[in-house]
Amino acid sequence: MAEVHVIGQIMGATGFSESSLFCKWGVHTGAAWKLLSGIREGQTQVDTPQVGDMAYWSHPIDLHFATKGLQGWPRLHLQVWSQDSFGRCQLAGYGFCYVPSSPGTHQLACPTWRPLGSWREQLARAFVGGGPQLLHGDTIYSGADRYRLHTAAGGTVHLEIGLLLRHFDRYGVEC
Amino acid sequence: MNPREEKVKIITEEFIENDEDANVGKRKKNSKVQRQLRKKQPPTTGPDKMVSEESHPGNQQEPAQDEPQTRLLSVTARRGPCSLPPIPSASRTGFAEFSMRERMREKLQAARSKAESALLQEIPTPRPRRLRSPPVKELETEFGTESGKEVGSTQQEDDFQSYSRVKFHVSARKIKSKPQVPPGFPSAEEAYNFFTFTFDPEPEEAGEKLKHQDGTDQEEEEGEEEPPAQEGANRMDEEELLHGKDAEDFLLGLDHTADEFLAVRRADYESAHVRLQREKEMLFIPSRLTVPTYKKLPENVQPRFLEDEGLYIGERPEVARTNQNIMENRLLMQEPVRWFGDDGRILALPNPIKPFPSRPPVLTQEQSIKAELETLYKKAVNYVHRSQHMIGSGDPSGNFQLDIDISGLIFTHHPCFSREHVLAAKLAQLYDQYLARHQRNKAKFLTDKLQALRNAVQTGLNPEKPHQSLDMIQKTINEYKSEIRQTRKLRDAEQERDRTLLKTIIKVWKEMKSLREFQRFTNTPLKLVLRKEKVDQKADEEAYEAEIQAEISELLEEHTEEYEQKMEEYRTSYQQWKAWKKAQRAKKKKKKQATEEHPEEETEEPYAEEDPVKPTPPEPTDRAVIEQQVRERAARSRRRPGEPTLLPELSLAGSVTPNDQCPRAEVWRREDVKRRSVHLKVLFNNKQVCRTASRQLGTDFRVHFGQIFNLQIFNWPESLTLQIYETVGHSSSILLAEVFLPIPETTVVTGRAPIEEVEFSSNQHATLDHEGVGSGVPFSFEADGSNQLILMTSGKVSHSVAWAIGENGIPLIPPLSQQNIGFRSALKRADAISSIGTSGVTDMKKLAKWAAESKLDPNDPNNAPLMQLISVATSGESYVPDFFRLEQLQQEFNFVSEEELNRSKRFRLLHLRSQHVPEFRNYKQIPVYDREIMEKVFQDYEKRLQDRNVIETKDHIDTHRAVVAKYLQQVRESVINRFLIAKQHFLLADLVVEEEVPNISILGLNLFKLAEQKRPLRPRRKGRKKVTAQNLSDGDIKLLVNIIRAYDLPVRKPTASKSQQPSRSSRTFREKHAASPDTRSPTHSADYPLGQVLVRPFVEVSFQRTICHTTTAEGPNPSWNEELELPFRAPNGDYSTASLQSVKDVVFINIFDEVLYDVLEDDRERGNGIHTRIERHWLGCVKIPFSTIYFQARIDGTFKIDTPPVLLGYSKEQNMIIERDFDSVRSLSEGSYITLFITIEPQLVPGESVREKFDSQEDEKLLQATEKFQAECALKFPKRQCLTTVIDISGKTVFITRYLKPLNPPQELLNVYPNNPQATAELVARYVSLIPFLPDTVSFAGLCDLWSTSDQFLDLLAGDEEEHAVLLCNYFLFLGKKAWLVMGNAIPEGPTAYVVTWEKSHYLIWNPCSGHFYGQFDTFCPLKNVGCLIGPDNIWFNIQQYDSPLRINFDITKPKLWKSFFSRSLPYPGLSSVQPEELIYQHTDKAVAAELQDSRIEKILKEKIMDWRPRHLTRWNRYCTSTLRHFLPLLESSQGEDVEDDHRAELLKQLGDYRFSGFPLHMPYSEMKPLIDAVYSTGVHNIDVPNVEFALAVYIHPYPKNVLSVWIYVASLIRNR
Repeated sequence: MAEVHVIGQIMGATGFSESSLFCKWGVHTGAAWKLLSGIREGQTQVDTPQVGDMAYWSHPIDLHFATKGLQGWPRLHLQVWSQDSFGRCQLAGYGFCYVPSSPGTHQLACPTWRPLGSWREQLARAFVGGGPQLLHGDTIYSGADRYRLHTAAGGTVHLEIGLLLRHFDRYGVEC
Repeated sequence: MNPREEKVKIITEEFIENDEDANVGKRKKNSKVQRQLRKKQPPTTGPDKMVSEESHPGNQQEPAQDEPQTRLLSVTARRGPCSLPPIPSASRTGFAEFSMRERMREKLQAARSKAESALLQEIPTPRPRRLRSPPVKELETEFGTESGKEVGSTQQEDDFQSYSRVKFHVSARKIKSKPQVPPGFPSAEEAYNFFTFTFDPEPEEAGEKLKHQDGTDQEEEEGEEEPPAQEGANRMDEEELLHGKDAEDFLLGLDHTADEFLAVRRADYESAHVRLQREKEMLFIPSRLTVPTYKKLPENVQPRFLEDEGLYIGERPEVARTNQNIMENRLLMQEPVRWFGDDGRILALPNPIKPFPSRPPVLTQEQSIKAELETLYKKAVNYVHRSQHMIGSGDPSGNFQLDIDISGLIFTHHPCFSREHVLAAKLAQLYDQYLARHQRNKAKFLTDKLQALRNAVQTGLNPEKPHQSLDMIQKTINEYKSEIRQTRKLRDAEQERDRTLLKTIIKVWKEMKSLREFQRFTNTPLKLVLRKEKVDQKADEEAYEAEIQAEISELLEEHTEEYEQKMEEYRTSYQQWKAWKKAQRAKKKKKKQATEEHPEEETEEPYAEEDPVKPTPPEPTDRAVIEQQVRERAARSRRRPGEPTLLPELSLAGSVTPNDQCPRAEVWRREDVKRRSVHLKVLFNNKQVCRTASRQLGTDFRVHFGQIFNLQIFNWPESLTLQIYETVGHSSSILLAEVFLPIPETTVVTGRAPIEEVEFSSNQHATLDHEGVGSGVPFSFEADGSNQLILMTSGKVSHSVAWAIGENGIPLIPPLSQQNIGFRSALKRADAISSIGTSGVTDMKKLAKWAAESKLDPNDPNNAPLMQLISVATSGESYVPDFFRLEQLQQEFNFVSEEELNRSKRFRLLHLRSQHVPEFRNYKQIPVYDREIMEKVFQDYEKRLQDRNVIETKDHIDTHRAVVAKYLQQVRESVINRFLIAKQHFLLADLVVEEEVPNISILGLNLFKLAEQKRPLRPRRKGRKKVTAQNLSDGDIKLLVNIIRAYDLPVRKPTASKSQQPSRSSRTFREKHAASPDTRSPTHSADYPLGQVLVRPFVEVSFQRTICHTTTAEGPNPSWNEELELPFRAPNGDYSTASLQSVKDVVFINIFDEVLYDVLEDDRERGNGIHTRIERHWLGCVKIPFSTIYFQARIDGTFKIDTPPVLLGYSKEQNMIIERDFDSVRSLSEGSYITLFITIEPQLVPGESVREKFDSQEDEKLLQATEKFQAECALKFPKRQCLTTVIDISGKTVFITRYLKPLNPPQELLNVYPNNPQATAELVARYVSLIPFLPDTVSFAGLCDLWSTSDQFLDLLAGDEEEHAVLLCNYFLFLGKKAWLVMGNAIPEGPTAYVVTWEKSHYLIWNPCSGHFYGQFDTFCPLKNVGCLIGPDNIWFNIQQYDSPLRINFDITKPKLWKSFFSRSLPYPGLSSVQPEELIYQHTDKAVAAELQDSRIEKILKEKIMDWRPRHLTRWNRYCTSTLRHFLPLLESSQGEDVEDDHRAELLKQLGDYRFSGFPLHMPYSEMKPLIDAVYSTGVHNIDVPNVEFALAVYIHPYPKNVLSVWIYVASLIRNR
C-alpha cells in the first residue's frame, strides 16, 4: 500500500559524439508495482545543442506508483538516439539506472553504451550510419549475461529525479 | 643603527625574559634532569669563558658586558626555582650603551670558544652516527606519541637559541629538556609567528637543525646523559660553524684561523663480518627445511585429516613448498598454536581462484550469441511515426513470416444438398472412418497381442527354466491373465465397432440406392463396391472354434477364481454371523433375566445393533451359460466362420444424371448451387489480412482454392482465424462460419507442414424452395415425415499453416522463448546457469544431468542447496512444480496482499482517473486517506459496469429511448476505442506553434500597413491567436455574444382588439407563397396610434445558467449593438479538446418585450409618484449549441427567431414602407430575425477529425476515383465542401450515394393529405424535424462524422444534419420529387447537409432539422454556400463562380456548372444501397405517450417551475390549464399556424378577467432536460407579481416510430382589477 511518486525530468545528455539527440525512456517495475497515474514511457524531442556539449531535453517524468512490496523497484531504461542531417535516426546508447530509493531530489547520471558489432558493422556505421541494435530491448534492464556483447561507451544521460515515498514506514521500511 | 643589530637586540631582550619565565616553570618538573645537566655545566662554561676572554683581549668592555650575560645564564641555570634576578633591566641599559658591532663580535667570539671546547670534548668518545640512528628513531616515535606538544614547544625554544647564537646555546639546551610550556609563556605559535615574521630567511634553517636536535634531546632524557649530550653538542657545533662563517662574512675584518675549529678524523668503517655478526643477533632467518609435524601441533596430539573423515575442506590455494616451509618456520618462532590446523598444516581458506576464466574468450562471439543479446544492424532510416514508441516492444524485432496455405473447402452439409447428397456425405464420412480404422487395424493388433499373451501364459505354466521361483511365476502368470482379460475386452469392442461400421456403410448405401431409384436421377457420382474376399471355410471355422474355446476356458477360470474368492468371503462372513448369533443368544438369555429385574430397560436393547444378515453362499458357475454368452458375443461382433470378408470400396465412378432428365426442382437446385460462390478471409489477430478469390461452388460441394498467403508479421500471433463467406448471386456475402486455426509449433516450417483439415459448422438457417434440404431445417427421408433430421451447414477446410524459411534457411519465427544453445565445455563445469541456461535451471532433470556431468563436489557447502534440490527432484518423491514462478519470494516480502491493494479506494480512484474513465476524468483532488473517500463515489461507475446490458428506465422516460441511449453509449465506446490509437497521431503543428518566418511579401504588406488609417471607417476583424486547450482553466474562456439588431419583431396588440382573422386551416404553398404578407397588415397598424411604442424588446442570453441581457430598445426593428460576455465552464474543468467537443450546453438567446404596468393603486397619488412594475414577455428565442460555436470559432449572421406559434397579445407589424418589389424577396420569410455575432474568447482550436484511412468494402478503383475527384475539386475551390465517401456507424468508408434511395415515409403521414403533395412534403419534413438532433461531435467526441443509415437513424432517434437530410431526401425521392442532398455551409450550423427539391418551376431548399423550407432566392435562407449536390446515383460538385444559393444555377445537367463524379469515362457502376429495402414503422403506443404527457413531463415541469420560484408561492390555475390542454392538439394538427386568433378569442371568452401572457412551445422529444431548459429560458417563472397564477399544459403527439412531438403551453395569469 505504500506509494511512490517519481517526479523529475530527463535533463539531457552529455558526452555523445553525435549531436542531435533524443531519448526514449521507460520505467520498468516488478509485478508488485501498480502504476496509478502517469505515463510509463515516452520519448523526448530532438535537441541539437548550439552552445556547449550538453543536449537538453528537460523531459518531465511524473509517475505515481503503488506497491505491495519492495521487489522490482522501478528502474529507468533509456535509449539515446541521434538524428543525422538527413533526419535519419540511429542508436547512440542504451542506459539503465534504478530510480533512487531514498526520498528527496537526486541527480542521476546514467552512463550509456551501445553494441559495437563486427568490424563491418562498425565501418558501415561510420560511413552510412545506422548501427547494431539490440533485438530485445529488455536486455537493457534484464539480468541477462551481457558479457558476450561488445559495446562502446556512449555519453551520459543526466536525470533529476525527486522521490516521494509514502507509508513505507508503515511496513517497516525506513527511509 | 643597523637594522639587523636592532633586531638582534630585541631578540636577546625577549629571550632573557622568556628564558627566565620558562625556567621557573620548567624546573619544577624536571629539576632532577636539570641537576644532572648542571653537573656537566661548569666544566664547559669555564673554558668557554676563558677562550672568549683570551681570544679578544683588546676589548675592555667585553667582560663587563659578558659578565652579566654569562652570569645570568649560569645563575638561572644554577639557581633554584625561585630565582628572579633584577639583572635583565641592568643588562638592557648596558646593551644600549654598547655599539652593536662590538656586541656581535663578542658573540661570535663566544661561539667560537664554545665550539672549540665542545670539539675537544667530543673527540674522546667517537661514535658511529649511523649505527645510532635506528634506535633513535624508534624512541623518537615513541616520544612523539607521548608528548608531541613538548617537542613542539622545545622546537620553538630552539628557535630562540639559534638566533641568539652561541651565547644562548647552552641555556637553550637546558631549556630543551623542559618540555612543558608554562602558563604566561607566549604560546608556541605566537612565538613562532613572531620570529618567522621578522626573520624570514633564518627560521627555516634553524628549524631543520632543531629537528636533529630533538632526537638528541630526547636521548638525554632517556638517561643516556653523557654521550648524546656531547654528540648533540658536536653536531651543533658543526652547524654552528657554518653560521660562524656566515657571521664572518658579515663581520668583515675579523681575523681567525680555520684550524681552531677543525679536526681531521678517520673514516668510520665497520667490517662486514662484524655487521653480520651483529645482524645475526638481531635478525631471524627462517629455514627452508620442512618442519616436522609434531612441532606444529600441540604436544601429544596426533594430526587429524579432516578430508579423510569425510568433511569438506576445499581445495587449498597452491603455494610453493619452500615458501610454505619458510612460513611455517617463521610462524613456529612466533605463536605456533594459532596458525596450524588439526592436520598440521597452515590454516587456509579454499582456493578462491577459479581454474578457468569466468569471462570466456570472445573470439567466437559471432557464432554463439545468446538469442536475447542478439544485435541487428539497422540502417539509419527516417523516423517512422508509430502510435507507440515504447522501448520494450517498440522496435520491430524483424520480419517473420507465416505461410497459410488454403487448399480447399469441402462441405459436409450445405443448404443446397439434395437428399442424396446428404446420404452421400454420410457415406463418405463413414467410408473415411472405415479407411482410418482399417489402416490402424486395431482389432488385428489386439488379437495378436492376445495370442502372444496366451502363449506366454502357456510357457509360464510349463516352466522350462526351473531356476525361477514358483512365486515369481505365479505372479507373472496372474499379471498376464489380467492383461489377457483387458485385451480381450478391448478386442471385442473393436471388433464390434468394425462390424457395426461396415453394417452402417452398407445400410446407407442401400438407402442411397433406393433413393436414387425413387427419385429417378442421380446427383452424386458415389458408388460403393463391396469386394468379397473368399476365405478357407474349414480353417476359418477351426480358428473360430478354437478362439471360442480358449475364451470359454479363460472365462471359466476366471469365474472359478472369482467363485473361490467369494466362497472365502462367504465363509468368513458366515463365521462372523455365527459368532454373532451365539452372542445374541447369550444376550437374550441374560436379558431375560434382566427384564425380570428391570423391565423398563428392555425395549432399547434390540435396536442398538443391526442384525447381520445371514450370508448366502455364492453360486458356482455353469460352463454352458458361459459358452452361450461367449458365442452370442462372437456372433454379434465377429465375422461368422466361412463368411467372406467384405471390403467396401467407394469410388466416384457413377454418373450423374444430366440436367435435362431431372425434375424441375432438382434443376433449380443445381442452378442455385451454380450461383453460389465461396471465399475465405484470413484474420490474423482479429484483423483481416487477406482473402481468397471467390470460387464457385462445385456440384460436388467442393471448392478448390490452392492459395498460399504469406503473412509478414511482427509479433507472436495470438489468433488465426478463417472466415468462410458465401455469396449467392450478386447479393452481399454472408458469413457462414469462423474457423480457428492453431498456430503452428515453431518446428513446423514450410514444406514440412502437413495439410490438415479443420471442421466448421454454421448456425445458419436456410430454407430453400427447391430440392435442397436447407440447413437448420428439419427434413426426413421417410415418406411420412418421421425420423426427422436437422442438419447444419458444415464442412471442412483443408489448410496448412507453417512458418516460412528465410533466405539463409532460418525459420522466420518470432522469438517465443529463449532457446538453449550449446555452450563450450569449459563453461559447462563452471556455472549451472551459464551451461544450461536460465531456463534449464528450472528443469530438474537437466540440472541433475549437468551436476552429474560436471562432477560437482557434493560436499561443497556452496553446492548444498543445489545438491539438495537435485536429490529431491530426482528422487521423484517431492512435488516438482510444473509452473515457473517469475518472482519468487515475492509473496513473502509483500507488504500487503494483492486484494488489499486492490481494495484501496484511493488507488482505485487514482487509477480510474488516469484511465480517463468518464466518471472520474478530471476528478480533482483525490483524498489522501482511504477513509476520506466515500464509497458512493464508485457507485455510479459500478452500476454502469453492471448495467451495461441491463436497461432501466429511471433516467429516461420511455423505455425505447432508454434502449437507444444505451445503444448509443455502446456504439460510442466502441468507436472511441477504435479511434484511440488514431487520436494519438500528432503532427508537428499539433505540438509546436511556429510563428511564420516573415518573408518579403509579409514585410511588404506590413510596410503597406503603415500607411493605413489608424481607425478605418470600416474596420475588419483580424484573426486571433488560437489557444490550445491544455493551459486553460475555469474562467479563462468567455463566450462573447454581440447582439446587433433584430427585424420584424412582433408588436403588442391592445387586448381590447377583437379583430378576427378568417382562419385558414389548410393552405397550399402557393397561397402562402403569394399571399401571406398582406393579409394582416392593415388591421394591425390601424390599431396603434402613431408614436406609441409598439414593443420594447431586449435580449437575454443564457448559457450554463448564466444570464446576461441587453438594454431595452424600442420598436419592432430594434438595434442594440451590445456585447455580452458569458463565462464558460467546461464539464469537470476538463478543457481538453475531446471534452470541449462533447459539451452539450446550448446558448439560448431570448428576446423579451419589456412591459411596464402601472401598479399605482391609488389614483390620488398619480400626481406625485410613479409606481410601475416591469414585466417581460417572451417573444422568441434562438438556440445555438455550444459545439457549433466551438467548431465554427465564430458565428456571424442573421437568424430567424424561433417564435411560438401563438403569441398572445402580439402580432407581426407589417411595415408599410416596404414596397411591392421587395415583397417577393421576403415572401417566404415571415418571421422575426436577429443579427448576432458570437465567438469564444480566446479562440479555441477545434479538434481535428481523425486523419486516418478506414477500412472499406468499396471497390478499390472507386476509392481511387473519389480521392482523385476530391483532390481536383479541392484544387479549384478549396473552400467548397466536397464529399464522396463517408464513414458508417461501424467505422467503414462508404460511398455517399449508397445512402440515397427512395424510402417510404410512414403511411399515416401520406394519408393525411392524399391529394396534396406539397402538404405531404411539409408534413414529412416536419416528421423528420421531430427526430431529435444530436450532433456527432457530441456523441462521438469529435472523432469523426459518422453517417448512420435511415433505419439506424430512426432506431436511434438521434442524429445530426446529415442523417436528417438523408432521411428527408429519401422520403422526397419516394414521393416522386427530384431531390438532392446539398452539402454546404449554413448558419449557424457550419458545414451541413440540406435538401434541395425541384418543384415544377423553382427550387426549394429544406432545412431538415427544422423542417422549414426556403425558396432559392430567399435572402434569409440559412444555407449560405453550396459545395456539392448528391443524388442517388451521382455527385455534382459546384464549379460555378459563386456558391451562394441565390446566385447559382441548380441545373445539374450543365457540365460547365456542375462537375459530376460519374461521367462517361467512369460510368455509374450500379452501387447497391446501404439503406434497407423498406422502412418499417411501429405505431407508437398512445397510452405510453399519454402517460408520459400527463404524469411525467407535466408533473416534472410543474415541480421545476416551483423550484425556480423558491421565494414565492406558485399557484396553478386549473381552469386555465384545462383550457390550454384542449387547445394544444389543435396546434399540433395545424402545425402551429394561424390559430392564434381563434385561440385568443376563446381564451378571452373563458378567462376574461385575467391578464394572460403565455405561449406554446414546440419541441421534438428526446429527453427531459431540453424541455426543462426551454421552459426555463422563456422566463415565465420570473414573474413575481404577488397574485400571479400559472398554467402549464403538455401535449404529446405520437408519430410512428416513437417520434414524439411535444407541446408545452406555459402561461402566467394575473387577475385584472
